[in-house]
Amino acid sequence: MNILITALIVSGINALLALLLVIAERFLANYGTCKITINEKEKLDVEGGRSLLASLKEEKIFLPSACGGRGTCAYCKCQISDGAGPVLPTEEALLTAEEIQDQTRLACQVKVKSNLDISIPEELFNIKEFKAKVDRLQDLTYDIKLLRLQLLQPSQINFISGQYVQLESQPYEKVKESVSRAYSIASSNSKKTHIDLMIRLVPEGICTTWVHNYLKEGDELIFTGPMGDFRIHDGVGEIIMVAGGSGMAPMVSLLHELTRNQSKRKITYFFGAVARRDLFYLDEMKDFKRSLSNFTFIPALSKPLPEDNWKGVGGLITVPLENYMKEIKADDAQIYICGSPGLINACGQVLKKHDVTEDRIYFDPFA
Amino acid sequence: MEHLSPWVIFFAAIFTGNILLTYFLGMCSFLSVSKQIKTAVGLGLAVTFVLTVTSALNYFIYYQILKPFHIDYIRYIVFIGVIAATVQLLEMFIERYSEPLYINLGIFLPLITVNCAILGVSLFMIIRKYNFIQSVLFGAGSGLGWFLAILAMAGIRERMKEDKVPSALQGPGITLIIAGIMAMAFIGFSGIVQIQ
Amino acid sequence: MKQTPKEKKLFENFLPGKLTKEGFLGDDTRHIHDIIQADAKVLVQYQMKKETIARELKKLIHIGKQGLESEVETDDYAILVQWDRGMIACPFGEPGLHPKLIAKVKDKGSGVTIRYSQLCVHLVQHHGFFGGKGSAFRVDPEIVCPMLQRNLSSTQEK
Repeated sequence: MNILITALIVSGINALLALLLVIAERFLANYGTCKITINEKEKLDVEGGRSLLASLKEEKIFLPSACGGRGTCAYCKCQISDGAGPVLPTEEALLTAEEIQDQTRLACQVKVKSNLDISIPEELFNIKEFKAKVDRLQDLTYDIKLLRLQLLQPSQINFISGQYVQLESQPYEKVKESVSRAYSIASSNSKKTHIDLMIRLVPEGICTTWVHNYLKEGDELIFTGPMGDFRIHDGVGEIIMVAGGSGMAPMVSLLHELTRNQSKRKITYFFGAVARRDLFYLDEMKDFKRSLSNFTFIPALSKPLPEDNWKGVGGLITVPLENYMKEIKADDAQIYICGSPGLINACGQVLKKHDVTEDRIYFDPFA
Repeated sequence: MEHLSPWVIFFAAIFTGNILLTYFLGMCSFLSVSKQIKTAVGLGLAVTFVLTVTSALNYFIYYQILKPFHIDYIRYIVFIGVIAATVQLLEMFIERYSEPLYINLGIFLPLITVNCAILGVSLFMIIRKYNFIQSVLFGAGSGLGWFLAILAMAGIRERMKEDKVPSALQGPGITLIIAGIMAMAFIGFSGIVQIQ
Repeated sequence: MKQTPKEKKLFENFLPGKLTKEGFLGDDTRHIHDIIQADAKVLVQYQMKKETIARELKKLIHIGKQGLESEVETDDYAILVQWDRGMIACPFGEPGLHPKLIAKVKDKGSGVTIRYSQLCVHLVQHHGFFGGKGSAFRVDPEIVCPMLQRNLSSTQEK
């Protein structure tokens, strides 16, 4: 009998405590609906309690993020003038003192607990989430594939030549989650229903392995975009392009735009590769030569194999670039580079030697 | 113990019978969270709050429910339940109103539940047969005493940040030595008032 | 082994599919701390510090980068570095991203080839983590230490 009373009383006390906690959670963990005001004009009503990044994504506003909201990449910076609360230690690790003073915060770390007043760059409003179908998946080289996507919902995309999209991979084998990776659009922006992407297989890469080994024509996928500010800049001076491998993607898009505008500017494209097996799109480059008034495509192989029988330019791409810079007057030339920071650095050194100022060098970096 | 003024108990709990430096209860969070003054203050206040609230609640439950039904032997389980609930409540509160503190405290906020100082205070007040006011002030005083100890330790450790400590003693080693020296210093208070 | 919820969540970063396709553990079933400790013992045997190893590996990547994806040869090594788009986070959860550089280094003297990434250099230097046995980019101290020591001493002799 004693044991029964004990059990009853202890359970009773615990039940009471549990009830207390449930009631408290109702009040404390519930943030209700919060209003987010963006750039002083857009107003959104969201459910409180989640990160700003996630809440905005729910409302189809996509802030850039490379780490998926883990708080390691600092891409999701935005300005919050009201309602953000004190700066978190996870943010302090990635923001400078000036940024914090400027009210810059990390959207993935700030929790929406009350009404917020935020500012984000206007171009982010143009970024949408697209559902697309794989129209074509073909090999360009032994490690680069062309992925042509047909847009389903929305069915059209408006982008500036040179921009990129974030492709969402799907789970396969041991990979249980999606990741998001950036690829430049390689097609003409006058074609609004389809986009081309050039995807190079990265060793141990989650997304590229999925594209190369598991994705099939007819499959559906999701991507977000368009993003980025790599584009053609107006001018009369000649255009010099430097990009190898999948770096050719934005250049193809730029070349399509230049063709459409019937540009009379002199265009030279230096394509750096190792051996003949790295060359692709040679026919397309011939087409551009025909349709543009003054276009030259210069591939350079740094270590051609004997069987390649290479008679063209040899050495690292900086070699023909340097030789070219020596010949021309580069006062108003514009240089467009797409590739690794190593390539950009190497080219930058060559260009500096020939007095090309930084404001005329545009690059689409790999970061 | 009805003749003891609650304020004497309060004072003694802070200085002469410091729950941490005299009775060596509640050491683990003390050693781990005393690196920064900011976090130490946060945790110290949290512990004080939990101690005050749980001594009041546990007093009430013990004398109004457990004793009348002759099941006071179950007090260990019931006290821990109350402590756990109080800490959960505190967690929710801190997460809502001070997220930086919540993140800084990390795992040590829920660990307050198993901090032996909290259970110790509740058990002591039963053993020493304190009345309600005495119990509450004992709890509050113990909390403040714990707060004082961790604040002093954090101050010392922050001051020592630039000093060269032998590599074998860095971290817990030197902290324990400092705690020992602080305890010895607190012995100096023991003549002021003798509770037990 | 008791882990805090935070540690458990971090441990997930090492599994396949989170940061890299195959993850950082390969077929190793040991806990990360055990892997680090076992490799640390090997370092003591060779009397090499993890910082030294990281520094040398970083140097080799730097030399290889100059090749812009074609092979670079030094007196002791043939190095091929591939640099891909994007950044990768540290699985230990620290803020900051690392470029996706992968180096294949062949030791001319012994014919041994090792493969590692820029992230590996950070993991070795800051965490003493060389990768689980069987993982794609494991920098096995048993292989790397003698290789580096051989070439370090030969450069000193010169």
